[in-house]
Amino acid sequence: MADFLRQNAGRFFANNKKGENAELLADLNSEYRDRRKDAVKRVIANMTVGKDVSSLFPQVVKNMQTEDLEMKKLVYLYLMNYAKSNPDLVILAVNTFVKDTDHVNPLIRALAIRTMGCIRVDKILDHICEPLRKCLQDDNPYVRKTAAIGVAKLWDLDQERALENGFVTVLQDLVSDSNPMVVANAVTALAEMQESSVSKDVFVVNVAIMNKMLAALNECTEWGQIAILTSLADYRPLDSKEAENVCERVIPRLQHANGSVVLSAIRVLMIFMRYIKSEDFIKGMIKKMSPPLVSLLASAPEVQYVSLRNINLILQKRPDILQNDVRVFFCKYNDPPYVKREKLEIIIKLCNDKNIEQILSELKEYASEVDVEFVRKAVRAIGRCAIMIDEASERCVNVLLDLINTKVNYVVQEAIIVIKDIFRKYPKRYEAIIPTLCQNLDSLDEPEAKGSLIWIIGEYAERIENADELIENFLETFLEENSQVQLQLLTATVKLFLKKPAQSQEIVHRVLQTATNEIDNPDTRDRAYVYWRLLSTDPQAAKAVVLSDKPPISVETRTISPALMDELINNISTLASVYHKPPKAFMGNRAFSADAVKTAAAADARDEEQIIGDAVLDASGAPAPKNVMTDLLDLDFGSSEPAYTSPPVSSSKPASNNGPNYSADLFDMSSDMSGSSSSVFGGMGGMGGMGGMQQQQTQHQQQAPPPARNDPFGDLGGLGGFGQPPQQQQQQPTKPTQSSAENDLLGLF
Amino acid sequence: MGSIFSRILGRLWGDKEVRILILGLDGAGKTTILYRLQVGEVVTTIPTIGFNVETVQYKNIKFQVWDLGGQTSIRPYWRCYYANTDAVIYVVDSVDRDRVSTAKEELMAMLEEDELKDASLLVFANKQDMAGAMTAAEVSDALGLSTLMNRQWSIYKTSAVKGEGLTDGLDWLINILQK
Repeated sequence: MADFLRQNAGRFFANNKKGENAELLADLNSEYRDRRKDAVKRVIANMTVGKDVSSLFPQVVKNMQTEDLEMKKLVYLYLMNYAKSNPDLVILAVNTFVKDTDHVNPLIRALAIRTMGCIRVDKILDHICEPLRKCLQDDNPYVRKTAAIGVAKLWDLDQERALENGFVTVLQDLVSDSNPMVVANAVTALAEMQESSVSKDVFVVNVAIMNKMLAALNECTEWGQIAILTSLADYRPLDSKEAENVCERVIPRLQHANGSVVLSAIRVLMIFMRYIKSEDFIKGMIKKMSPPLVSLLASAPEVQYVSLRNINLILQKRPDILQNDVRVFFCKYNDPPYVKREKLEIIIKLCNDKNIEQILSELKEYASEVDVEFVRKAVRAIGRCAIMIDEASERCVNVLLDLINTKVNYVVQEAIIVIKDIFRKYPKRYEAIIPTLCQNLDSLDEPEAKGSLIWIIGEYAERIENADELIENFLETFLEENSQVQLQLLTATVKLFLKKPAQSQEIVHRVLQTATNEIDNPDTRDRAYVYWRLLSTDPQAAKAVVLSDKPPISVETRTISPALMDELINNISTLASVYHKPPKAFMGNRAFSADAVKTAAAADARDEEQIIGDAVLDASGAPAPKNVMTDLLDLDFGSSEPAYTSPPVSSSKPASNNGPNYSADLFDMSSDMSGSSSSVFGGMGGMGGMGGMQQQQTQHQQQAPPPARNDPFGDLGGLGGFGQPPQQQQQQPTKPTQSSAENDLLGLF
Repeated sequence: MGSIFSRILGRLWGDKEVRILILGLDGAGKTTILYRLQVGEVVTTIPTIGFNVETVQYKNIKFQVWDLGGQTSIRPYWRCYYANTDAVIYVVDSVDRDRVSTAKEELMAMLEEDELKDASLLVFANKQDMAGAMTAAEVSDALGLSTLMNRQWSIYKTSAVKGEGLTDGLDWLINILQK
């Protein structure tokens, strides 16, 4: 009894003196089972709250050999957690592991082999092979399926050893196992090993393997289904018939409740669709793919977002899907902003002449919401609808006018930006609304909106009676304006002059003078010089350049290049399809260093620029002399601020402006570089120095190889006939130059 | 004395076990002895990397018997198991004359440990069934058992394979522990 009391008393006092670990240590060594178990539980409790109990390792391991399954699991949990911090002591556990893999209870056999694999310590590798081999051939499928994953774990630590012991072959055999769960896990393990293998021959899906996988597909768990579907996606069918067969067997998976299974199935279908020749079959598939995609939108917002990003991709590849389901994508008032944004994108993609009415009224609704960003996007969406669907443009313009009449500042501004795009797409069709726009002149404070309105005034100067007054109005604050607005003003003034020389001689003179004398921004200043020279040498040429026909714009709902598209389709239901970036762009830690990713991204951007540039040039059939202008104006592409967020391209690219717009309409629409490069130039433009300029030039040569240029200033000077040393260009023009320029200009009149 | 009293008292409560360590160099027959005691048969064993622990019921007493691996790499960790040990069974391969000195060194080092100062020592001169085995007296001399101070000890010649001598040793142990 005295002893009993002593023990109890000891519990109270020992606590304070030695700390909890010492007390646990004593309890772990206790003669009493229940006290030991209690101690292990407390150790695990401490472990889970982050206290370091690694020093108890040997004592905890002592309790590993027990018939008490609960205790065993706890000790195993401890081992997984702390094996790394006690790598030498891990061998104390080996014998117990080996014994447990021989246990009569399959649960314990599987538990042991699973835990053994989770111990990422080299010392254990010498001992894992025999138990693993045993478990791979176990009678019980649960043990086999656990062991299959164990092989992948071993492979991760030591590929050599896994190969030497023939585990890879055993695993490949397990793909033909009678139990679907085992097949699924073998596939999972092999697929993972394949990814990290050097020779890439660990898991190559062939017809036989594919058939085994298809057989197991319907019966395994959702995880197994995802694994199998993912591996199926790597298979390339031999002919259309085979692809159809696979699709038919995958289609039932679309009914699954798990969104990941559904998306994985869709990925397989999208990939195999490429090989199917029968149009009817494809049509049928697309019909079957729509309902599951729609039902994905009934899940949690996060899942919705992932689904929407994927749907966005799928729609770009197969625009005929979901044609009748646009209503599903209408935003609910309580959708989170990221979901709303994606839904909006998809609504625009689904827009056609049948549903435009419905969509327009919905978008108009959105434009009266409280979320400013979303409202702006909604207004832009209306513009995109107008540009996409010719017949609907009038209705869109009317909606926009309604919105302008609300006089809500940001709505008005956004609407004006959008209307400018519509003017570009349908020139001379909606001139009647110009007065309405001009009424809102004073409420504009954002550069882009201002720029847009100025562009409209310049473009339709001949129809606007008081165009010179309006321009004059803007010019009052010319020096304070954002460079984007300055450039726009400059151009609009020149247009005005070319259209109504009589009224605006004085204005144009003043603007060019101010721009060349008082503005430090090299873009604005240089453009003023170019105009000046142009006007002074050959007004007709100036007319041809400044008032040339604009290349038509169109809204591209496809924002992704075909090559990238294919890669993203291959990665549906992964992060790649959410980011809309190839996996290698963000999987930096594996085979790709950060540098490699950067180069890849740059190369990608270059490709895209090339494509866009070529397309625009082709479309406008740009004559040769204008190409010279392109070269010259290349300089401007390095503008410190996007000189004018070129509406035609930007409207087709909602997220970012990719690549300069090589339009013939160079003076009008300056370049906009892709986001990253413009920020690089931003810094350099600010310097305005020779070094910066040269770097810009080299940058340009990388970005879009134009014909070789020796000296940017030489070119510029040569055109204008200024034979002055380049340095002068950077400073305020010297007196004589200025006066000669003046003379030139005066000679015009 | 008080501690032994408390242990017997504890045994009356039911779940208290007498803790015994089986130690010795690798290949001495420790694991074979353990399972001979537990299931009464010879089982095929592999080198123990780590430990085995079994509960052995003998004459109404529950022994918790720990069999630790004897390989050089594991010997440093024997000390982790010393706490609360009532007795150590030290197994010597009587045929392996070359390593008997190593066995002695390990034994002496172990007995130095503070945690084992109250533990009784039972030495098994194992593998007596094989030709050329040392006698118990020879083993005792080689291990220097006679020099031990303040220690309850005894040596028995055993053959784990044939099951000879093991119970005699345990009888002695029970006798000592119940005192």
